[in-house]
Amino acid sequence: MGRFSWRWGKRKVRTGLGILLVCSIGLSGCAQGTAPTASSVEDGRSGIALTKDELVLAVGTEPEGGFDPTTGWGQYGSPLFQSTLLKRNAKLQLVNDLATAYSVSEDGLTWTVTLREDVKFSDGEPLTAEDVKFTFDTAAQSGSVIDLTNMADVQAPDDSTVIFTLKSPQSTFISLLTTLGIVPEHAYGADYAEHPVGSGPYKLVQWDKGQQAIVEANEEYYGNKSAFHKLTFLYLDEDAAYAAAQAGTVDIAAIPAAFSKQEVNGMTLEAVKTVDNRGIMFPMQPAGAKSGDGLPAGNDVTSDLAIRQAVNVVIDRKTLVEGVLEGYGRPAYSVSDDLPWSNEEAVFTDANLEEAKRILTSGGWVDTDGDGIVEKNGVKAEFNLLYFAGDLTRQSLALAAADMVAQAGIKINVEGKSREETKKMAYSNAVLFGWGSHDPLETYNLYSSTHKGEGYYNVGLYSNPVVDSWMEKALKATSEEEALPFWQKAEWDGTTGFSYQGDAPWAWLVNIDHLYLVTNGLNIGEQQIHPHGHGWPVTSNLEEWSWDNSTNKK
Amino acid sequence: MTGRNGWARFVGFKMLRLLSLLVGVSVLSFILMQFSPVDPIEAYIGGDMIRVSAEQRSLIEERWGLNESSTERLLTWGQALIQGDLGTSMIYRQPVADIIQERFMNSVALMAVAWILSGIIGFTLGVVAAMRRNSKLDRLICWYCYTLASTPVFWIALLLLMVFGVWLGWLPVGLGVPAGMSADQVTWGDRVIHMILPALTLSLTGVASIALHTRQKLMDVLESDYILFARARGERGFQLFRRHGFRHVVLPAITLQFASFSELFGGAVLAEQVFSYPGLGQATVQAGLRGDVPLLLGLVMCSAIFVFTGNMVADILYRLIDPRMKEELMS
Repeated sequence: MGRFSWRWGKRKVRTGLGILLVCSIGLSGCAQGTAPTASSVEDGRSGIALTKDELVLAVGTEPEGGFDPTTGWGQYGSPLFQSTLLKRNAKLQLVNDLATAYSVSEDGLTWTVTLREDVKFSDGEPLTAEDVKFTFDTAAQSGSVIDLTNMADVQAPDDSTVIFTLKSPQSTFISLLTTLGIVPEHAYGADYAEHPVGSGPYKLVQWDKGQQAIVEANEEYYGNKSAFHKLTFLYLDEDAAYAAAQAGTVDIAAIPAAFSKQEVNGMTLEAVKTVDNRGIMFPMQPAGAKSGDGLPAGNDVTSDLAIRQAVNVVIDRKTLVEGVLEGYGRPAYSVSDDLPWSNEEAVFTDANLEEAKRILTSGGWVDTDGDGIVEKNGVKAEFNLLYFAGDLTRQSLALAAADMVAQAGIKINVEGKSREETKKMAYSNAVLFGWGSHDPLETYNLYSSTHKGEGYYNVGLYSNPVVDSWMEKALKATSEEEALPFWQKAEWDGTTGFSYQGDAPWAWLVNIDHLYLVTNGLNIGEQQIHPHGHGWPVTSNLEEWSWDNSTNKK
Repeated sequence: MTGRNGWARFVGFKMLRLLSLLVGVSVLSFILMQFSPVDPIEAYIGGDMIRVSAEQRSLIEERWGLNESSTERLLTWGQALIQGDLGTSMIYRQPVADIIQERFMNSVALMAVAWILSGIIGFTLGVVAAMRRNSKLDRLICWYCYTLASTPVFWIALLLLMVFGVWLGWLPVGLGVPAGMSADQVTWGDRVIHMILPALTLSLTGVASIALHTRQKLMDVLESDYILFARARGERGFQLFRRHGFRHVVLPAITLQFASFSELFGGAVLAEQVFSYPGLGQATVQAGLRGDVPLLLGLVMCSAIFVFTGNMVADILYRLIDPRMKEELMS
């Protein structure tokens, strides 16, 4: 009995204490909570108002792998902490960065790059050719998205010369020189991705994983100094970024088109032109073909040129932009609209029902049974169009395009499929895909017959020897200027090509503008045409950003 | 002496169960990942799909051991695990143990606060409802609990975010620390402020079950003979509850709270997503969506241990509290 009561007594005290403790924590939490809330908000606002050379940005997702260029950091936009050998300006023309000059041998296999000699890493050590060699060697072995499989060797004969040797001529190798940030050999270790050292305009001060990266201007940077001393990149998803913009915590936020209608106090919506395109890929072979992995390929309807051209010409792209994209986009006529390697002659007049009907009739497609769908040799002009289920924009585009095409007597059945299902069915059904890159290699991989049917390469099994030979010439060119006309001819050389006028293996629909909410008064300069990824590319011209005038600063 | 033996046997048995649970859960998760349609290489490459050649793909496969058969991969992973190595995450390119350690601390703090808050609030609501049975207040509390029990966590999270983060602007809209502040300047106050919304989300939805259970239990107690006797002696209200009701309802409530670890963990994953809070939730979602097997298995084991611990504590508490269960254990 005595023992029993003792136990109870002890437990009562213990429980009482526990509850008291819990209550006091709760209370002090609240008491602490309310006071600093107000002051911290004030601090935040006044901090921006006073210094003006700090920005808070919510423009993209966190690079989980960290800030190591040799494993994929900085492929789009600015690598920020590192600098590249070359870069592309607002017009996407090549300009020197670390390099002062480069030359390519006649056979296209040897690339010689000369470096400027005044460059220092943020730790004060000079950047030499050895670091460039080290960077490319490391990247080649990293097993990451950096594809250096065509590089046979890289050498640094002296401090300011780098010589790359390729396995086969590849003018698009230049893209690696414009995207791969150079890392210092002396400061590269296992934790480099978390503590990057480089020669870029900024250096990393702090990385709170899953939350934010805080960067400060690199005093050793050789290029134009940015107007902003400190930048904070918040890693928020699109909804959270929009909420942060509404709450006034960020100076620039990447937002999806769905949020574009609502005004946000103190911020302006900026729409940036892109090649973030969406288009319909057609299987080019008759049914019965096989993909690279042995999956069924080909389609008896889409393999007919008249069908593909009719679909292309009947679609009203301006209406798609207005109706589906809320006006934030532009019609797409190729995979690389307005990029240096696209052909302006490939643009055509669309929304032309008469022309579509004429093409179908002369191609032998006539509606004989009066059901509104044309036939040829007993085959109805009907095919499936797949899109990635869950992607609302693609769904709307597919449905709207199907409606437009129906007027011409072609029936498109729109079906949402998972990525994995799509991959298996893509070779025998039309698919709504989206691409868009600053690398003409993409054009090659989409249209060349060399790798047709390998994964996402040339899913339609398109094959045109003339196009192939133009693109081979483009790859073998010894400079980008020399390559450009070949790329353009592959698209349309006057008689054939992968444009609408030629084989029309795709019906490109729209390029989707990337939207950013920007604090009033912040000028983000002349933006490049952005590639497929939304968000980070906006940073590619950070050094041009500035405040427009003093009145608009917060 | 028999008591100590009993406890040793109890703990030993529990550890054995934990071990078999971990083996089972990780093997099952691994098999599920094999059946998952996510192609880890494609998920890893992401948007650069069209620029990465087949040759580079096989390099990536080789680098991450994805070219081996699944049995081989599971065995390699198991062998490394026995030596204390959880493997390397493919998407974070970091040891899995480091990632979990770093993020678990954030999640644990958040979950602890939410757990304590929901316990206290839920218990209080349950007591108040039972003491004022069938009053308007009781009905309000019941209505609230039923509504909350059927409300998705992320929806509540978005609602709170809109109201307190955007409209009123009282609290930050996300993250665990203030934007742009260097680590040495971040105070505990800052951390608390950033934790309020996610913790509130979790506790708001977590109160339902404990409040309803406590209400029911206390109502049973209030109908007993000794309460009738106490009332006859003139005891009323809080005094009555403190003397005769409290100890009957607080212990079941506490055990219930410990047993709710699994819901807590699941809720934290969702709330962290909405508030961009850097806990395990974000990492779990990434690992699942992008087929990062080592990271996912590490997280699965971590959450299994966490939930198991909660349930075990509840078990132990039962045995400490209820003499009948102790007898059962000893015999």
